[in-house]
Amino acid sequence: MDFANLSAQLNAGAILPEGIVIITLLVTLVWDLIVGRSSTKVTPYVAIVGLLIATGTLFLQWDTTEPISFLGSFNGDAISLIFRGIIAISAAVTIPISIRYVEQSGTSLAEFITILLTATVGGMFLSGADELVMIFVSLETLSISSYLLTGYMKRDPRSNEAALKYLLIGAASSAIFLYGISLLYGLSGGETRLSAITASIISNGLDESLGLVIALVFVIAGIAFKIAAVPFHQWTPDVYEGSPTPVVAFLSVGSKAAGFALAVRLLVSAFPLVSDQWRFVLTALAILSMVLGNVVALAQTSMKRLLAYSSIAQAGFLMIGLIVGTDAGYSSMVFYLMIYLFMNLGGFACVILFTLRTGTDEINEYSGLYQKDPLLTLALSICLLSLGGIPPLAGFFGKIYLFWAGWQAGAYGLVLIGLITSVISIYYYIRVVKTMVVKEPQEMSEAVANYPEIQWNLTGMRPLQVSIVVALVFTSLAGVLANPLFNLATGSVSKTPMLQATEPMTPVVSQAPEQLPMPTVESVDL
Amino acid sequence: MLSLLIWVPIIGAGVIAFAPGEVSGARARLGAIGVSGFLIGLSALLLFQFDLGNPEMQFQEYIPWIESLGLNYQLGVDGLSLLLLSLNSLLILISILSSKIDIERPRLFFSLILLIAGGVAGAFVAQNLLLFFLFYELELIPFYLLVSIWGGSRRSYAATKFLIYTAVSGACILLAFLGLVWFSEASTFAYDTLMGQMLPLGLQFVLLALMLVGFGIKIPLVPFHTWLPDTYVEASTPVAILLGGILAKLGTYGIFRFGLGLFPEAWSNLSPYLAIWAAISIMYGAMAAIAQKDIKRMVAYSSIGHMGYILLGGAALTSLSVIGSISQMVAHGLILAVLFNLVGVVEAKVGTRELDVLNGLMNPLRGLPATSSLLVMGAMASAGIPGLVGFIAEFMIFQGSYERFPIQTLLAVVGTGLTAVYFVILLNRTCFGKLDNSTSYYPEVTFGEQVPALILATLIIFLGLQPTWLVRWIEPTGTAMVAAVSTESAAQVATLSVPVVE
Amino acid sequence: MELQYFLLLAAALFCIGIYGLVTSRNAIRVLMSIELLLNAVTLNLMAFSNYLDPMVIRGQVFTVFVITIAAAESAVGLAIVLSIYRNRDTVDMEQFNLLKW
Repeated sequence: MDFANLSAQLNAGAILPEGIVIITLLVTLVWDLIVGRSSTKVTPYVAIVGLLIATGTLFLQWDTTEPISFLGSFNGDAISLIFRGIIAISAAVTIPISIRYVEQSGTSLAEFITILLTATVGGMFLSGADELVMIFVSLETLSISSYLLTGYMKRDPRSNEAALKYLLIGAASSAIFLYGISLLYGLSGGETRLSAITASIISNGLDESLGLVIALVFVIAGIAFKIAAVPFHQWTPDVYEGSPTPVVAFLSVGSKAAGFALAVRLLVSAFPLVSDQWRFVLTALAILSMVLGNVVALAQTSMKRLLAYSSIAQAGFLMIGLIVGTDAGYSSMVFYLMIYLFMNLGGFACVILFTLRTGTDEINEYSGLYQKDPLLTLALSICLLSLGGIPPLAGFFGKIYLFWAGWQAGAYGLVLIGLITSVISIYYYIRVVKTMVVKEPQEMSEAVANYPEIQWNLTGMRPLQVSIVVALVFTSLAGVLANPLFNLATGSVSKTPMLQATEPMTPVVSQAPEQLPMPTVESVDL
Repeated sequence: MLSLLIWVPIIGAGVIAFAPGEVSGARARLGAIGVSGFLIGLSALLLFQFDLGNPEMQFQEYIPWIESLGLNYQLGVDGLSLLLLSLNSLLILISILSSKIDIERPRLFFSLILLIAGGVAGAFVAQNLLLFFLFYELELIPFYLLVSIWGGSRRSYAATKFLIYTAVSGACILLAFLGLVWFSEASTFAYDTLMGQMLPLGLQFVLLALMLVGFGIKIPLVPFHTWLPDTYVEASTPVAILLGGILAKLGTYGIFRFGLGLFPEAWSNLSPYLAIWAAISIMYGAMAAIAQKDIKRMVAYSSIGHMGYILLGGAALTSLSVIGSISQMVAHGLILAVLFNLVGVVEAKVGTRELDVLNGLMNPLRGLPATSSLLVMGAMASAGIPGLVGFIAEFMIFQGSYERFPIQTLLAVVGTGLTAVYFVILLNRTCFGKLDNSTSYYPEVTFGEQVPALILATLIIFLGLQPTWLVRWIEPTGTAMVAAVSTESAAQVATLSVPVVE
Repeated sequence: MELQYFLLLAAALFCIGIYGLVTSRNAIRVLMSIELLLNAVTLNLMAFSNYLDPMVIRGQVFTVFVITIAAAESAVGLAIVLSIYRNRDTVDMEQFNLLKW
């Protein structure tokens, strides 16, 4: 069979962006093999360009009418496009902030980028995966590369330890997730496409079975691990503290976005029968995440741990949009993720810069930083305040939209807790700002007092500076000029047939391509 | 026009903060003075172009913004906001003038102050609830930094306390707004659409209560006032002027605009209790002020009492009392600013604020004669001595409220008496008496340091003698507000012959 | 043979795996417990595939993927354990306390 015909039949164009990322990955790897150590001058930029091109192709696919590809394994609908875009951009921002960090640690940059791109590919496939095997494979691609990234500083025992913890907890949770998936496969009588599962379950007469709830619980455990929702969050602070900071930046945004993409697709299309139950469970998780994340963050002394708990709390906020399950809910979640991408990565970029200069990430060591490095102080303050939801920064608009959507859908309790906890969160974000800005010159910490001269011409410093500035500009202006992002977010939801099926009892079976008849399955009672 | 009032200071703040190269403190100060002078000119222009006969919103501006959130850039002024807007412009200038010449980190300081100027102006003119909230919350960080960087010895504690209280207040207000919009099934936060809401009375009570708590923290009213003494006292003079003169007015403005304006029925039902609350605030403020040993603290507590008058006037809901309340907002802004300014001067020159230590500042040779005579004037104005602006406002409030709430009003009058008591104590201890012979000459107060107080004193006396200049702008709006309440509650009673009370 | 027996066996295996996961102190044993969990899943999938989906045998395909990925996962896991052993001379979980739990 000739290739063009095959690819047309499979609708392979839908994964063109992933294809571009994979090609970039190979180019990086091969170039590094050929050129050797000096490849670091080129590879990161090749990778960034590749990722941006991939994002561009995602944009071109916005109006696609034929999202299903690979016999129903992959669904490139609008919401997946958005999530894939978020993941690709988060990787594209992570690379410039990691160049200097990796260089300084004396490890190979090209390998780092290769693994990062692998993780990105995994996350992007996960956002569009519409079939159980596909979900599992892409989830593991993402996870295994994340474990490797976490342990990338292989001579640093803290990095080792973080990697081991992440791996053990991650592998266990994905095994549990997989167990849930296998039950789902059984309940549906041997169906693996998400869009067909519900119909099969109903036709098997198992729509009220206990097995479905058990499968749901296991699946939620896996998802909650990925998005670091309490009580599946224990790995987060340790991993965030121990791993290389650029990796943490990617994990907190890219990997989390992928987790949310998985959650939306799996829960909405495979578990509409138990939607009350999963909404209830997620409500509990969201409340716990918001409360615990924000409260525990108050007590942190390490910047990275603080950001870890803050990211747990942010996951709680994001879950509000998922739980309410209205159009506004989903689009507010997408909108918040887009903003979260920049403010969180901006925050991490600043932490990286500070760590590079001083070698520490204790909050106390930031004392009096404004005198030595105004740009860093400003950028970090803006990003943190935006995370705390202070107007007129982008985070404020994101939160308002989430709360607005939640309130509209009647989730008063959630919104109330969200409001209270974001008031709490302001306190710890501002504590950092205060340390940097308010302290008198004589209260300056030792690290800041010995702050080295700024040398922007070192390898990798310029990209770091550029990404800090980009994040800063985006975080300060994205809220005020939010209309395009809003349209993107609402468009992605309204163009996605899966999320438009308001009636949970009518699953979207019609999505399956007609020209590829699947063999009929005779159903056997359990 | 209104946008200029918001954006010029914000852009000015940006320029002062980020202008490349070395910018000396004097240059930054000059820039800030220039911007605030421009603001004053603009406000004066607004005052003169304002159509006095028209109680509606004027100088409206409208730009669609984020439709899906119901957020639009919608501005307008009426009599209530106009004067507060002008007060804001004036006090920004006063505050900049009363800052120390050699203040530390001048660029940050002046840009934060200008940021506040823009934010407050935005809050006063916003005609969209969410836009108001945005500007309202915009103050939080600049004030926090202003208190915690340039404050007194316990500034860190005070700033944190301020932050927590204000953040809670913001959350309450946001909740009330969200609830209002959602329950009235509006798709927008625009003020004029929400005006006509017809919510059940019980719900209105809940939302109004949330708002009262939210704005009550900001004003502050007893029992939400505990942040005030600490913050006012720890803040440096210019910041204290802004806090007491402008920020507190955001709270009263919010209560009048959103509490009274959006929930007229609930408001008129609650008004007896509000009046009692006001009376308690007044009495408490006055009593607490008497007990103070620190003159700045005393002035701070006096502010609590004066805020009570405003609430009383609002609760009474006669057109005279409402006009009086709005005048009191302006009058209190002027008087508090002059008092804080003078206290600041005294502290700078004498080196203490303790009542027990201060003595005989009136001494023409070795004391601070000009400052202390201005202090006498300020205290008289605050205590409501006729001929000064404070008297006019308070008199209108009492006159307007007495017919509805005689007992509460009488209590408030007693409170005024107590005000006089503590100001007499203050003046007696600080200005009069014999200056200790051993005390050396106090440093001379330069003309520059005297200017802000002189400007304010002139205004206080002028408006005290010519109250029409104050009242003429307020009158149509005040009357219209009261009229709106009475017609709307009448309509409500007519439609719901059985009042819905849960 | 009934389907239930297979499922019960898988569930038992899964529980043993979880037990091992929680109680083991040795990192290698934890990895082995995870393998046990994955084997339980594999068993489940095979059983379902045999009884419910004998025509398309998606479950068996799935199983192949699970086995492959499990291998990759343990490879990475062992590599990490190896590097931690080089740095710390131990694989005892209780000793890994640089990061507070």
